[in-house]
Amino acid sequence: MNGAARDSGLAGEASGLSRLAWLAGAALFLSLPSLFKAVGLSSGAYWLDVLNNVGLYTVLALSLNVILGLAGMFHMGHAAFFAVGAYVTAILNLNAGWSIFAAMPVAGLAAGLFAAAVAWPIIHLRGDYLLIVTIGIVEIIRIALTNDIFGLTGGPNGLVGIARPSLFGLKISRPQHFFYLIWLMVGATMLLFHWLENSRFGRALKFIKADAVAAEGMGVNVTRYKLMAFVVGAAWAGMAGTIFAARLRTISPESFNFGESVTLFTIVILGGSGSQRGALLGSFLVMGLPELFRGFQDKRLLVFGAALVIMMIFRPEGLLPPKAAKYALPEPWAGRHGPGGPGGPEEGAWPGGPGTGPGQADGSGRDEADGSGRDEADGRPAATGAEGSRAAPGGPSPFADGPA
Amino acid sequence: MKKYFMPILVAAAAALLAFSAGSAQAADPVKIGVMAPVTGAWASEGQDMVRVIEILAQEINDAGGVNGAPVVVEVADDGGKPNTAGLAAQKLVSAGVVAVVGTYGSSVTEASQSIYDEAGVLQIATGSTSIRLTEAGYQLFFRTCPRDDEQGRVLAAQVQALGFKRAAIVHDNTSYAKGLADEARAIFKTNGVEEVFFDAITPGDRDFTASLTKIKAAEPDVVVFTGYYPEAALLLRQKRDMNWGAPMIGGDATNNTALVEIAGAEAAAGYYFVSPPALADMPSEAAAKLRAAYQAKHGGQPSSVWSVLAGDAFNVLIKAVEAVGPDASKMGEWLKTELKDYAGLSGPIAFDAQGDRRGEVYRLYRVDAQGAFVLQ
Amino acid sequence: MEFFIQQLTNGLAVGGIYALIALGYTMVYGVMKLINFAHGELFALGAYVGYSLLVTFDLAGALGPAAAIGLTIVMVLGLVGLAGHLLERAAYRPLRHSDRLAAVVSALGASIFLQNAIMLKWGARHRAYGADLLPNVTVHFAGQSYPLIRLLVFLAAVLVMTALYAFIHRTRLGLAIRAAAIDQGAAKLMGIDVRSVIAVVFVIGPALGGLAGLLVGLYYGQIDFSMGQLYGLKAFTAAIIGGIGNIPGAMVGGLLLGLVEALGAAYVSVAWKDALAFVVLIMILVVRPTGLLPERVAEKL
Repeated sequence: MNGAARDSGLAGEASGLSRLAWLAGAALFLSLPSLFKAVGLSSGAYWLDVLNNVGLYTVLALSLNVILGLAGMFHMGHAAFFAVGAYVTAILNLNAGWSIFAAMPVAGLAAGLFAAAVAWPIIHLRGDYLLIVTIGIVEIIRIALTNDIFGLTGGPNGLVGIARPSLFGLKISRPQHFFYLIWLMVGATMLLFHWLENSRFGRALKFIKADAVAAEGMGVNVTRYKLMAFVVGAAWAGMAGTIFAARLRTISPESFNFGESVTLFTIVILGGSGSQRGALLGSFLVMGLPELFRGFQDKRLLVFGAALVIMMIFRPEGLLPPKAAKYALPEPWAGRHGPGGPGGPEEGAWPGGPGTGPGQADGSGRDEADGSGRDEADGRPAATGAEGSRAAPGGPSPFADGPA
Repeated sequence: MKKYFMPILVAAAAALLAFSAGSAQAADPVKIGVMAPVTGAWASEGQDMVRVIEILAQEINDAGGVNGAPVVVEVADDGGKPNTAGLAAQKLVSAGVVAVVGTYGSSVTEASQSIYDEAGVLQIATGSTSIRLTEAGYQLFFRTCPRDDEQGRVLAAQVQALGFKRAAIVHDNTSYAKGLADEARAIFKTNGVEEVFFDAITPGDRDFTASLTKIKAAEPDVVVFTGYYPEAALLLRQKRDMNWGAPMIGGDATNNTALVEIAGAEAAAGYYFVSPPALADMPSEAAAKLRAAYQAKHGGQPSSVWSVLAGDAFNVLIKAVEAVGPDASKMGEWLKTELKDYAGLSGPIAFDAQGDRRGEVYRLYRVDAQGAFVLQ
Repeated sequence: MEFFIQQLTNGLAVGGIYALIALGYTMVYGVMKLINFAHGELFALGAYVGYSLLVTFDLAGALGPAAAIGLTIVMVLGLVGLAGHLLERAAYRPLRHSDRLAAVVSALGASIFLQNAIMLKWGARHRAYGADLLPNVTVHFAGQSYPLIRLLVFLAAVLVMTALYAFIHRTRLGLAIRAAAIDQGAAKLMGIDVRSVIAVVFVIGPALGGLAGLLVGLYYGQIDFSMGQLYGLKAFTAAIIGGIGNIPGAMVGGLLLGLVEALGAAYVSVAWKDALAFVVLIMILVVRPTGLLPERVAEKL
């Protein structure tokens, strides 16, 4: 009962009709390759490849969303984790003859471990300081790859000749093969992260984002959850790196620069921070628009830049912001759950925590309270000062960040 | 939002179809693709490539086309990045091109090779000098530019011939410059030139005084810089500012008149570089014609030799279509076996079995006191 | 030792430029809590405006070098300041009450727009200021010789920093800026027109960035349309090292970053110097999470 009512992401309110629409949409989408073929569209392969790119970035954006959207940490270095995954895949495949799908979990694991190692000392940094540090990490990785670190990365040339993946004897090589592989991964990612978002872990992250002090006070181990968010997001990006490497068959350090991280960051915020549908739409726009703008030739990025500004101005919360989470308020208030409701026990951990919908949605929790807690407005729902009023009621919570 | 989702999806799919249907008409014209960095860091090279090819295509079409069919040039921007190269390649393949000219950067070309190969599209790279591009065994891959190893060989030989004994090798960690530096380094081990310094500067940086101070401390009698002209010019200028007279020698990526504009004639004087001849030094009649046409249409001259090599690639493609028709595999065969000493813009053109260009193209240049590039 | 001193001055010269750009970042950040990602592009714009005036219109030929450069400085400050103001109105003002990250993405969009606008206006080729624009004078000092322009650039950075510091701390407008930096709501209650304060800040910050662009053009002689990216990132790093929002901090951060790069190149590896700079940044932040000169709220700017 709580499970259904808590629904906030993928499917919105669980009405049968919308589910049907989603399913129909997904079915239509997945039939695009055959549709293109049926109508004899000569540029079908190109458009499928554009969609593949969109899909890959959707997976990456969804993984970044865990860190940036859910936990509210300003992370602009996601390409670093992506790179670790791609390079681990390539090295395992080229030097040890591993198949792509065998390398995939290892790539994810490596990226996750790497994230844990680098995030651990910096996890307490406030918003913009964290931002520059994550940029620093992606730059350090790029420079290390370029300088052929450990003699494994091939220097500026990168690595070439990565095998095509094969699944049950079918070699995945053409755009339509990758189309299914990538978009099934998108679907799996959405389902997994949707579940994660509504799990204890996801709610802890949202709580931390809304008000880290209160979360800490309620007994949430803020540092641990933030680290976990980093690890989960990074591991998933690492696995996306596997697909990336297998698709291009050649990887080089230029593919993982600061600009890629910025692109991912843009996708998440443009789509609506914390929103899965947003990440999907954001990927379509950020990866797709420059393709549609090819007609503008050398002006296409100019148009794209302007479009980005305009879209942000008209939809400052992102194009598809997450809906405010709804939680059933058990009555009487004190911790009684629906009898045998799923996930009941975990509710008890936060009386009045993330459960108080409006309180979370416009709490002006703009401080992560790492000692600089001199901000008067620290996350008390009542105090909506000049800055605090930024969050439209019912909109996304303001970012749990911001130095005073 | 949700209830609009289906209609939006359908509309999007329809728009997608409609958008691409425009390019779906196949007809008589011979379609040649140009994959070039029209935006991004190498935009000037890419824009020049497109300009040169458009001039040449215009000439051919004015003269009645190839075998009576008009030539259509399809441009796809690769942004100078490997990530976007795949899409640019798919775009051209989808547009139904028979062959592609391009592109500039080696890593960008590399990311596109397998796509063209799988689609059976012939590709002639124009600025991608990395050795392994033609070692990968793609049957339909060619290039009009020479390879790093040839350039490295010429460069190292010139350093020795000029009588230098202690060389500081500086590259910029791009795959091109690193490749060249590695080639030169390997040859120095055998030809009696001692390597006293080997490191990479960062492209895009402007202040190299710290690096130069360090290089100077290694006491080389020549600085071998394998990177590009913007950095080469700054190195020359800052070297002069610190009153350090050791000469510098570089590769073909410094063959750009902007080198002297940036460094100033005084600091650039005495700088050596090896390069295929610049457009201005190409004696062919076709080159003279291109110079005039470029001047008339865009003012000035293409700033580097790479766009001219793109013009050469385009011209040999047209020759191949003339000979065997617009069929990529026949054209590939023809280019390897029948094309002998075709009089290209940059000199005679022929390809070996790997698709590499035959013959010596490198020349040694020196900058004189007025800042002019003088063929030695 | 001579080598060390030489490298020290190399680092300070680069650092001075980083510091000058960082001042613009830090000022805007102080009041608006916004990382102006388009600041690097405004810096590049300054370099190109200077190029147009000095090379295309050849002001030096018409007025003589000193007057030409003086006029160019004024024009660059004015035009880039104006561009910054327009940018604020178009891309940031509508987002003042929105989420901070919305403004960040808007800034990224503006940065892409400006960079490509510069490319389309001035072309994609590298542009040269011309080597004979300034007399090539070297100054001898403590056994070393330095180009005069290098000293001037460094001096300009220090001068601008001092002037800005004095402006913030000694004038009424500066007081208003400090007040707005601490608490915009309270500043409004005290009768401060916060909107104008922001407008002023968004003229001064970009103008200083533009000035830095002009100096880079004059000093190094070479500009290109994507130059704002690299310098923007470096200056942002410098501002953070010093404690963003803090004017002396920007100076300290810039100089420190320049020194780390020069000494890193000298004693570790040229190829790794940028990575090293980021490692130092991370280490500083691990120890001092808000930079070297952290924002003390009372003296934020």
